[in-house]
Amino acid sequence: MNSKQIQHLYWRAGFGINPNELNNLKKNTKKELVKEFFLSSKRSTSLKISHPNYSYVMGNNKSAEQKKKIQREERKRLIELNIAWVERIFNPKELLRERMTLFWANHFVCKDNNSVYIEQFNNILRKNALGNFRDFVTEVSKSASMLKYLNAKQNKKQSPNENFARELMELFTLGVGNYSEIDIKESARAFTGWNHDKNGDFVIRQRIHDTGEKKFFGKSGNFEGEDIINIILEQKQCAKFICEKIYSYFVNSNINEHHINQMVHQFYPNYNIADLMEYIFLSDWFYNEENIGTKIKSPIELLAGINKTVPIKFLEKKQLIYLQKILGQQLLNPINVAGWEGGQNWIDTNTLMLRLKLPSIVLTNAVISLAGISEFEDSYEQYLKSKKSRKSYIKIKQDWTTFQQNFSKLNAFQIEDILFQVKPSKEASKLLKEIDSHNPKDYCIQLMSLPEYQLC
Amino acid sequence: MKRRNFIKNTALASTLFYVPSFVNAFNTLDLKSVGYKRLVIVQLSGGNDGLNTVIPYSNDIYYKNRPIIQIKSDVLKLNSELALHPSLAPIKNLYDQGYLTIINNVGYPNPNRSHFRSTDIWHTASKSDEYLTSGWLGRYMDSFGKNPYNAIEVDESLSLALKGKSLSGMAVKNAKQLYRNTQDPYFKKVLEHHNEQHLSEHNLGYLYKTMIDAKNSAKYIYNSTKTYISNQEYPDNPLGAQLKTAAEFINSGVDCKVLYTSLGGFDTHFNQKGRQDRLLTVYAESIDAFIKDLKKNDTFRDTLILTFSEFGRRVKQNAANGTDHGTANNVFIIGENLQKKGIYNDGPDLSNLDENGDLKYTVDFRSIYATILNKWMNVNDKIILNDTFTPLTFL
Repeated sequence: MNSKQIQHLYWRAGFGINPNELNNLKKNTKKELVKEFFLSSKRSTSLKISHPNYSYVMGNNKSAEQKKKIQREERKRLIELNIAWVERIFNPKELLRERMTLFWANHFVCKDNNSVYIEQFNNILRKNALGNFRDFVTEVSKSASMLKYLNAKQNKKQSPNENFARELMELFTLGVGNYSEIDIKESARAFTGWNHDKNGDFVIRQRIHDTGEKKFFGKSGNFEGEDIINIILEQKQCAKFICEKIYSYFVNSNINEHHINQMVHQFYPNYNIADLMEYIFLSDWFYNEENIGTKIKSPIELLAGINKTVPIKFLEKKQLIYLQKILGQQLLNPINVAGWEGGQNWIDTNTLMLRLKLPSIVLTNAVISLAGISEFEDSYEQYLKSKKSRKSYIKIKQDWTTFQQNFSKLNAFQIEDILFQVKPSKEASKLLKEIDSHNPKDYCIQLMSLPEYQLC
Repeated sequence: MKRRNFIKNTALASTLFYVPSFVNAFNTLDLKSVGYKRLVIVQLSGGNDGLNTVIPYSNDIYYKNRPIIQIKSDVLKLNSELALHPSLAPIKNLYDQGYLTIINNVGYPNPNRSHFRSTDIWHTASKSDEYLTSGWLGRYMDSFGKNPYNAIEVDESLSLALKGKSLSGMAVKNAKQLYRNTQDPYFKKVLEHHNEQHLSEHNLGYLYKTMIDAKNSAKYIYNSTKTYISNQEYPDNPLGAQLKTAAEFINSGVDCKVLYTSLGGFDTHFNQKGRQDRLLTVYAESIDAFIKDLKKNDTFRDTLILTFSEFGRRVKQNAANGTDHGTANNVFIIGENLQKKGIYNDGPDLSNLDENGDLKYTVDFRSIYATILNKWMNVNDKIILNDTFTPLTFL
């Protein structure tokens, strides 16, 4: 494989690659390279933060003051978990697993203000990221955060709530239009009474659980939730839906039906995710020119890529959260249950200008304005505090030593080759010839400030 | 040519910026004189308590449900049933002049009580079980916009409401700062050779096109507004500042059809009374100054102001002397050309609540959007809302 192709694999299956890593891999065959991804991701290391003084139950016995305090502490934990996740993405041991975890988090979209439950959920994503899709759906469906997020509590035999059943089919397994309203009504009954205890463990409340006969996808029986999931996975459409989603994220947002058919053939009916991913990365078409350098990086990919070039550490957690917010992708805080659309949707005039400036912001500790983003405050004073125009130096520690070890010996063309996945526009090439490239640090910042760097 | 190091002399390392601009030929349009209709939106974020904003002051059920937080004295009576909160005197003034329409019980089927989700629903004009990635004003931009500045959010970043599929609005908090930020020699250099006609349809071309859009827009807005000076005084608060900027854009004839502003802090779960008083004062005083400013410049007649909140609050007060998330709420429409002035429809029916003890909606918010799009913005609302709504008669 040539360098660009290796870089392609590392951008899509990982979070980019630096010159020394590339150098060490150049002689490897495709098979060896791909195999290494799966070997290094065999284990799953959970993401854990500490939850001191954690109070499981908000409950009605607590005063408004106590509830507020719990909420405040939980918000802090969520920030910690967010930071821990970003740091994990910046320094992953199980590279492919972490990449897949980020992907699945935008497939099984979920949000919770309970830090313990959402941490459990996040680790369910991680654990199953390369496992069996059937187990994955089941475990997600039984997780406390998802049960909460999709109104399981309101789903009772007497008055079924269809929210979970609908999203299960529409967003998680089949895609819109591939089931009937009757399928939703009937399957919602099978999930009645599904709930969790205070530790986040799954329970069925038998009293409100409907054990009666349901008709689902042409079958009848006293189906339980697990049966519903099994019947859904019997539909080849489910494999197709997941393959298309994986293809548009890892390969190209323009779906190639021929490639999808090959993938479905691989995926169905066993639903082994690792086998599917291996098939993709070993295929010839994954490395086709039309798939290289055509994807607009998500904000997290952009940050992770900069970190690949110059390792960075945010010294003020809030600044990292703030950057995610204004860039439009805050981990653990998805826009809605359908997730981020991605692609050109990341880009408007404001976000693009910020993205182009991001390398110089994080690598030269620039001043940024921290005002602006507010979130449903409960008083004018709180709101005012969040809106107050204040400028602040970004506090980030850059590891220029590692950068120098990687870049000091490279010439301008080599730097360009490793930073850009796309061939620069004619005009950009012309500009690059004019820029002083003797200082790799400045040269890299300038390259990363071009639109070309937004693509991977 | 000598290789240069742009980074030395560059705004790359200063505050948020916009790229520099070339010439733009829009400045000749005199928009003031041609009945150029604009929509201004004020979002009250956090869920404003509608029942203490437009108070059903002759209804016993109201007082029974709110023993502590009820507002009894100094209410500003509108008719025999409804009165405005005492902090809303400037709004009462608008009502008296026929510049205000209050639409009661605005909501949507299967209401969602999450701030995030309900805000999404209002922004995207979706059904409550539908997830859209473009906003209703973004879709207006997709179909009828030409430049990002045709819809401006007076803030630092863009809300979902203004995000389109192919063309989004833009966020402008301060035109001068934005323009100054465009003076970056590096980005100027980047765009020097780029010509919009040569850009491909692919993602790289899209990125360059957006970059050029940003640059042109920043310059256009700055050039349009730099000579305008308002002598209107505004209250010193974030909404006042946003509306002042909005008035600058309107009065100097910036080609923008939509201006989006917001005020937060309305999530009054506890000790609601003082908190909401304060917020409504901020709202009323800011609107008052804004309208005075527009009137001086004869632009009020072509401006319509829509005020909404993502939901109202529960009828019954909670144990902390506040209110919890509710459903239907009132919406204010302010303008000079209202066809149905004052109170548009019956106030909330407090004896007929849903299973949570919340108000039932009678007017779908999307029918308000449809009415504004159709009768004020003069465009086909069905293209934008993907559905048919019976227009209301306030316009």
